[in-house]
Amino acid sequence: MHEASLVRALLTQVGKLLTGHNGATVEVVRVEIGPLSGVEPTLVEIAFQQQVDATPCCGATLKIKEVPLTAVCRDCSNEFNIESFRFQCIACGSNQVRITHGDEFRLLDVELRTASPVTTQPN
Amino acid sequence: MTSVTTTIPVNRDIKAELKRQAEEMRCDFARRGTLVINMLSSPGAGKTSLLEATAKHWRGQRRMAVLVGDLATDRDAQRLAPHCPVEQLTTGGACHLEIPLVQRGLEKLGSNDFEFLFIENVGNLVCPASHDLAEHLRVVLLSVTEGDDKPGKYPKMFRTSDAVVISKSDLLPHVPFSVDAAIVDARLIQPDLETFTVCALTDGGIEKWCQFLERARDRMISAVNVTAETVTP
Repeated sequence: MHEASLVRALLTQVGKLLTGHNGATVEVVRVEIGPLSGVEPTLVEIAFQQQVDATPCCGATLKIKEVPLTAVCRDCSNEFNIESFRFQCIACGSNQVRITHGDEFRLLDVELRTASPVTTQPN
Repeated sequence: MTSVTTTIPVNRDIKAELKRQAEEMRCDFARRGTLVINMLSSPGAGKTSLLEATAKHWRGQRRMAVLVGDLATDRDAQRLAPHCPVEQLTTGGACHLEIPLVQRGLEKLGSNDFEFLFIENVGNLVCPASHDLAEHLRVVLLSVTEGDDKPGKYPKMFRTSDAVVISKSDLLPHVPFSVDAAIVDARLIQPDLETFTVCALTDGGIEKWCQFLERARDRMISAVNVTAETVTP
């Protein structure tokens, strides 16, 4: 179970984004998890809940977007989704495929709430 | 007093910084002529035995060192110590090695004048697959007692590996394990896998395995030289 250490890395990165946003709080942390990312979404969620309140991201919500594993065939250039880890082109049967998406645990974006009043720009 | 929500786009792999560090270290190792091999398997598949046999095969000819990761004890380091420089990396509870642990191990090794540096990962076919340790080669061991159906069950491990070593081949007559079936299953996940069958206790297959590593190091050095020639007018 290495989700805990990856979530720690995630929270550190999000914490760094707070620098330069004085008094801001983190509302939402949006991540993407693919089937070959090596992490399990449920365990990421649990690790996040266990750790978040002890960090500057205290109170933040984690939103996980689960994405499919996609590949492109090196032989016929077909782009397709890999199901059940069958690394084979569904069009030509070639096993020379390059993974294009779904093998990472990515930080997509972060929503910050700034407590300072909105200043209206003079025209 | 109103509050305002701002979305900060990032769109970056959480391990991006670690991957960058790993890439930098990999280039440094290559320039120094050190081929780094990340050795992975389930516990007890024979990583340490394979490294003992490798060190004996190369004795007096090749300079190798080992960083060996375990949750506890320095038993593997003690086994390897008579054969080559070795440092035990004790992870406490962690199920895999990460770059900072490797860096600490390298500092303890002192010398960096090795032709081959093996990183024997924690026995685990899951988590170590997600961590780049600056290796040039990722090698997964599968012992014949584990069953030939394992590659398909651990797709990330086999997809990210360069070679599979089927170990404990002396037990083949006693277990229902098909080397061919295991290789076919592994190549469904990673068609370019190199495969070896070894028995570390009897030295079976060790010469072929060592030659593979020697060729990989030669290729690495040629690639470094080509890059150097391109850069230097």
